[in-house]
Amino acid sequence: MSKDSQMRAAINQKLIEMGERERLKELLRAKLVECGWKDQLKAHCKDVIREKGLDHVTVEDLVNEITPKGRALVPDSVKKELLQRIRAFLAQHAAL
Amino acid sequence: MKMEDMALSGPDNTRLEALVHDIYSELVEDACLGLCFEVHRAVKHGYFFLDDTDPESAKEFEIVDQPGLDIFGQVYNQWKNKECECPNCKRLIAASRFAPHLEKCLGMGRNSSRIASRRLASNNNNVSKSESDQEDNDDLNDNDWSYGAEKKSKKRKSDKNQNSPRRSKSLKHKNGDLSSSVTSEAFKYNNYNNAGISYETLGPEEVRSLLTTQCGVISEHTKKMCTRSQRCPQHTDEQRRSVRVFLLGPSASSLPDADATVEADMFELQGDGSGAQSLISRLQWEDSPEISPTDSASSRASTNHSDPRRPKKKKRTSLVLNSTAGGGGGGGVSGEGTSGSLTSGSNGGVSQSNVSLPAKKKRPKLPAPSISSIYDDLN
Repeated sequence: MSKDSQMRAAINQKLIEMGERERLKELLRAKLVECGWKDQLKAHCKDVIREKGLDHVTVEDLVNEITPKGRALVPDSVKKELLQRIRAFLAQHAAL
Repeated sequence: MKMEDMALSGPDNTRLEALVHDIYSELVEDACLGLCFEVHRAVKHGYFFLDDTDPESAKEFEIVDQPGLDIFGQVYNQWKNKECECPNCKRLIAASRFAPHLEKCLGMGRNSSRIASRRLASNNNNVSKSESDQEDNDDLNDNDWSYGAEKKSKKRKSDKNQNSPRRSKSLKHKNGDLSSSVTSEAFKYNNYNNAGISYETLGPEEVRSLLTTQCGVISEHTKKMCTRSQRCPQHTDEQRRSVRVFLLGPSASSLPDADATVEADMFELQGDGSGAQSLISRLQWEDSPEISPTDSASSRASTNHSDPRRPKKKKRTSLVLNSTAGGGGGGGVSGEGTSGSLTSGSNGGVSQSNVSLPAKKKRPKLPAPSISSIYDDLN
């Protein structure tokens, strides 16, 4: 398994070094805004905040409430495209 | 695609897939975190709920979906049916036609002068004073004012053909008075009653001063004096003379055209357009009568002729009296006279012409020393 983790570390490093990670992040953000994911989640945030009270909201509260919902709300097309790109990168640059 | 990847190598592939998914999950979590931070910051700074509207305002600006109204609830053609009272003519005009009507009514704006002058010309043509009423003719231009518009519509078209400045040249030359009255009206459209000058309203001194500078021939159609220069090509000197006689009496000796008969002799050709031809014939007769200024397209030589006459008066006198062709000169004068309107071909007439030279100083002086040299040779 250390090989695995080593491999992962190496790949991650490569991702960052080549700037691919940033590119992927930006791509994902743009797509999520485009498909309305961000607005959906923001509306959910409002509910959470109203629930918890405006003054007492903490980051942890938000994170705990939002992240699972966020993961679930990502549309399939966006997910597929991102996976595709990651695989392509790995196929290109990872020595396997 | 996944099948292809799976087909490569089983365990590696699954690990690879797992890796890919892990990377993907990390990216999504990053996105969510980013959003949380953004929202939290907005909440703490108090601008998170700013883009919400309260239910009260939301109801106020609700989208309207009724027939006849736009989404704001306004009636779109509300102002079309309203009528406004014109402050100038006190008529009720439809709101959408109000601005153009006001332009014409007040006489301001780009086209109002054109239409007014056209109207005036048509009025003068028809010699009907009642029609020069501003309001009635303004009706012709208001599309929405149907009173009399239909019966006058045919007349309007004929007016347009007659009086528009674009009509054919032949019309212009056909009746010089009409064209001059149209152009003068275009410039004096404010003066609705007096496009030219009416001699009736002027005193004798004013008439005299006018006649010394202007052509002054009274047009038959409009009974107005021509305001063009003394050399106006549309009127002959005979006409000018007769006008002066008519207005100032037969003893109008202070005017340049006093010696009417002689003038007629020498200048009858001015009424013709064949200035160049007459010039050539005059040269042959070795006498240089007044050059006809009528032909504006004539050569310089024609205008040059008029000049040497005045300063070279003495010379001409000697030329005429001494030369054996003096009689011929008189004959030449009469010969020319036949083509014109008046004839008094005689030596007396010729000599008188020289006397009248100083009176001719009113004519524009033009340099033509070459012409005098011709007569030098003759002498």
